[in-house]
Amino acid sequence: MPHLRVTDLEKSFGAARALDRAALDLRGGEVHALMGENGAGKSTLIRILAGLEQADAGRVTLDDVPLRLGSPDAARAAGFRFLHQELHVIPALGVAENMHLSHPYPLRFGLVDWPALRAAAAKALGRLGAGHIDPSAPMGELGAGDQMLVRIAATLLPEPATRATTPAPWAYVFDEPTASLTGDEAARLFAAIARLKADGAGILYVSHRMDEVMALADRITVLRDGAHVATRNRAVTSRDEIIHDMTGRAMADLFPPHVRHADEPVLTVRDLSAPGLSGVGFDLARGEILGLAGLSGAGRGAVLRALIGDLPRRGHLNLDGTDLADTPAGAWAQGVAYVPRERRSQGVMLARALGETIALPHLARLSTRFGLLRHRAQAALVRHLAHEVRLKASGPAQPVAELSGGNQQKVLFARALAGQPRVLLLDEPTRGVDVGAKFDIYALIRRMAESGTGVIVASSDLVELIGLCTRVAVMDRGRIAAILPTEGLTEAALLTACYGKEG
Amino acid sequence: MAAFVKRYGSLFGMLAIVVVFWIALPDTFMTARNLLNISQQVAMLTVVAVTMTLVMVTGDFDLSVGSMASLAAVVAAVLFTRDWPLGAALAVALAAGVAGGIANGFLVAVLGILPFVATLATLTMFSGAAFVFSGGKTIFGRDIPQALSDFARAGLPLGTAGDKPLLLPALTLVALGMTALVWLLLEQTTYGRRLYAIGGNAEAARMAGVRVRLLRLSAFAVTGFGASLAGLMYMARVASANPVQGDGLMLSAIAAVFLGMTVTRDGQPHVLATVAGVLTLGVLDNGLTQLQVDSYVRQVLVGAIILAAVSSSAIGRKALRLR
Amino acid sequence: MLSNLTRRGFAGSLVLATAISTLGQAAWAEGEKIAVITPYLSQPGTQFYVEAFQARAKELGWEVNVIDTAGDVAAVISRMEDVATQGADAIVLNVDPAQVGAGLDAAAAANIPVFGMDAGADPRIKANITSNGYAMAAETSVYVANRIGGAGNVVMFVFDAFPPVQVRGAIADAVFKNHPDITVLDRVTPDVSDGGIADSRAKMEAILQANPEPGSIKAVWAAWDQPALGALQAIEAAGRQNEGIVITGIDANPQARDAIAAGGNFEASVAQDFTGIGTTTADTVARVLKGEELKANVIYVPTKLVTAANAKE
Repeated sequence: MPHLRVTDLEKSFGAARALDRAALDLRGGEVHALMGENGAGKSTLIRILAGLEQADAGRVTLDDVPLRLGSPDAARAAGFRFLHQELHVIPALGVAENMHLSHPYPLRFGLVDWPALRAAAAKALGRLGAGHIDPSAPMGELGAGDQMLVRIAATLLPEPATRATTPAPWAYVFDEPTASLTGDEAARLFAAIARLKADGAGILYVSHRMDEVMALADRITVLRDGAHVATRNRAVTSRDEIIHDMTGRAMADLFPPHVRHADEPVLTVRDLSAPGLSGVGFDLARGEILGLAGLSGAGRGAVLRALIGDLPRRGHLNLDGTDLADTPAGAWAQGVAYVPRERRSQGVMLARALGETIALPHLARLSTRFGLLRHRAQAALVRHLAHEVRLKASGPAQPVAELSGGNQQKVLFARALAGQPRVLLLDEPTRGVDVGAKFDIYALIRRMAESGTGVIVASSDLVELIGLCTRVAVMDRGRIAAILPTEGLTEAALLTACYGKEG
Repeated sequence: MAAFVKRYGSLFGMLAIVVVFWIALPDTFMTARNLLNISQQVAMLTVVAVTMTLVMVTGDFDLSVGSMASLAAVVAAVLFTRDWPLGAALAVALAAGVAGGIANGFLVAVLGILPFVATLATLTMFSGAAFVFSGGKTIFGRDIPQALSDFARAGLPLGTAGDKPLLLPALTLVALGMTALVWLLLEQTTYGRRLYAIGGNAEAARMAGVRVRLLRLSAFAVTGFGASLAGLMYMARVASANPVQGDGLMLSAIAAVFLGMTVTRDGQPHVLATVAGVLTLGVLDNGLTQLQVDSYVRQVLVGAIILAAVSSSAIGRKALRLR
Repeated sequence: MLSNLTRRGFAGSLVLATAISTLGQAAWAEGEKIAVITPYLSQPGTQFYVEAFQARAKELGWEVNVIDTAGDVAAVISRMEDVATQGADAIVLNVDPAQVGAGLDAAAAANIPVFGMDAGADPRIKANITSNGYAMAAETSVYVANRIGGAGNVVMFVFDAFPPVQVRGAIADAVFKNHPDITVLDRVTPDVSDGGIADSRAKMEAILQANPEPGSIKAVWAAWDQPALGALQAIEAAGRQNEGIVITGIDANPQARDAIAAGGNFEASVAQDFTGIGTTTADTVARVLKGEELKANVIYVPTKLVTAANAKE
């Protein structure tokens, strides 16, 4: 089995030290998780392995032979393959052709041999357990999960004779692969990873998702502030220990204590129907944090989208005695704030100043009677909110694209906070957010609730729901199956409830 | 250093063009009279380009402005031949511009047709309508009210140069007024900030409570108004109307907005930057004509300068990638 | 590196502009500077006279700058203003002066003489060099009167809404009125939105229908070629081409020349001398630059009657 060893890796960007004696070893036949908060040095380490950055110092050996990295070709020659969450695919071309983008097409009489092309693709997909994917289907018709499987399968294509000296790929680096996958897709990906591992490949798996890591990894390496903290055997470690490695904080500290809230409802929902939803009903009290749990596709996010008016809907929705508006514009005006799940595509304006994203829903309040903008009031509001959410940015003019995922999320929270909303809708509020920023966000949600805002959190992170909410509504195929108080609720019990009758 | 060049390179390029003409034409270029001439020559283009800025802020664009300018002039001229009063005919022509803009906005914002396709289609329709109304003829002479051409030659007295009076041309004043109005709208009102938000990320803007469809539609309406106003200014300047006379405004207006984008910090369209783009085009036409550069060579040069400016600032590519 | 390259590109185009400007300046040191401004350079007639003008200007040692605004009349005004600022010695226009009044004012303020090359009359224009519409109409109407022996019914195609064509009709009216035995059977204004041939043909067919007797129509006089061609089609379609009906047009466009050369009913048209207009314009500019005062502000260049004998030239 190949054995990659990285020791004493150093890398600085100007005065900022990204890696400080980082270390990692990866063997064939294992899944090795790499964890750490944002800024811990995970991406720098991966970029060095991929040949996109040069290390300042350190040693990288493959089977005790020093490895010269420094270019993407060198990484490829060493047998490394990298799978990012944002895949580069050509939607209009077929699956088989996408797989052959960096491989020569099989030819016959100098022309493309289409049957051979499809057969090679089908064979590689089959090896991965992805035989359900049609090699001639257009790539664009596939879901994100299947697209990722296609990308993995492409690495299994036999190398052509002309490149016979190139070693077969053996090390796969997955960077947050499940970020945009549904539960079923993730399950298929995990099965494919298991097959790669059984074939002797080493998998380096970078993820924020503790559940996945605990289910998948054989060993876990934690980095903090660019340094190697610990490498632990999954079988003999625990979540608490890993979180402690990452943060220096114990997990119990992650969630602020529950508080009591009033019983008076701020939002009542009766017979809510929308695409993917039917007959949903619940009350949300002032100051309550209500969780929405359920398997992927059960309708967690759809409830929030229907409430903000993004989905066409029917039903009786009452906000503090008045009917809830059925457009996003109307809902914001009534004091409903929304933090969408797709942060980059539905939340922020990446290329524009972060202050603009924060001020956008509140422009009407920030202008004179004649619609003239009060620039100073806007700047003051943005500064105040950025401080409230402990945003790390150079100033209101910094483009959102330059912020980390956690800080982008804080931008969206900042704008939801403005003007003390009556109801706050949060869809996967800590998705792609590092542990430190998570803590800030949980504290913020709590503070909002304490000040009387009703909060609804849809999340796939069960620990988060139990830690944060007073009650959790469990969704099953577009309906509410049960509403459980979190007092004394265990993760196992909640998961069982999510699986419902299926489980 | 490289960042500095990227940020200010094309601004210096624009200034350098002015300096080159100043040196090459020491007696005639940098004179009050010539500069006022340029301001009048670009007045129509200014109106089209600053209102085009509005739709380009939201990430759309409008190919139909040129033929709308022709159509508006033809509509007004045909009404003059039927003895309509001056004000009423102009009002109907401007209303036609707004209606055309709303039609564009409806196709793009409500029906979701790509702006390129939708406005290419309406370009053809407006142009056809202009031919139908005019019967393909140029309307001129006594049919065009004297008051209009008098207006195009009038101006605010600024003093004298030599023995002749200097006038700030009326057409320049209209262009300045329109520029101020759109600047106010885009930079100082919530309306404008919402348009920029739509350009930044339309889906996110909608989720944040912005009425995306309505605002995109309204931007097209303003652009249609600007196009028809420019068409009427054109008619006043040439004291005639024919169904193709404004067609050239479209490409120049889009070029001016792109040139302007190369001088802005965020790489987005802004009104004052667009005016800088318009002036660059106007100065090039004026200076190269005075230097007796062949009119076809002049076209090639103008295109080359647009390419050079856009590529040195790398705006074109960056804006595309982030959208 | 990339930005370096593109920076050089921008700088390069500036250097180019400077180079071109110095070339231009060197050229203008000698000879008079004459600007020819037209929105219609791509049209065939315009090309002929601009080329003839340039040829004569070269002999006279002038520096000619031909500016084509590609159909944009407002740009003609702008370029006139620029040329006036630059201080050219003369401006030659090829556009209706009524549309470029602001440019004429700018030239007048700068004391630059403006000449029209088939442009139209205006008090601010020193001279307009063109063909004589009166003479062209007289040529064809007299040809008709002579061919039918001064007696018989004549059909006229006119278009009084367009001043240059209205002039032609007025002359023909006078010529026919001067022959007591000639009767104008009909004075037709065809619909010209499709070019004029099709509607003229339809109108002529109706007239033929109303006058079925051979000899009841002696001639068709058209103020330009298209109605003449339409009338010819109608007569041939009705099978009456052997009744000796005489057709004439004006302008001698290629289609008309073909019909005349074929030797049928279409017997004559009148050709303008485009080359002569260009040359005469240059000569006129030269006279004014030498200080001569022109008496007439319209100068006519002779036209030529085209018949089967010379249609192929």
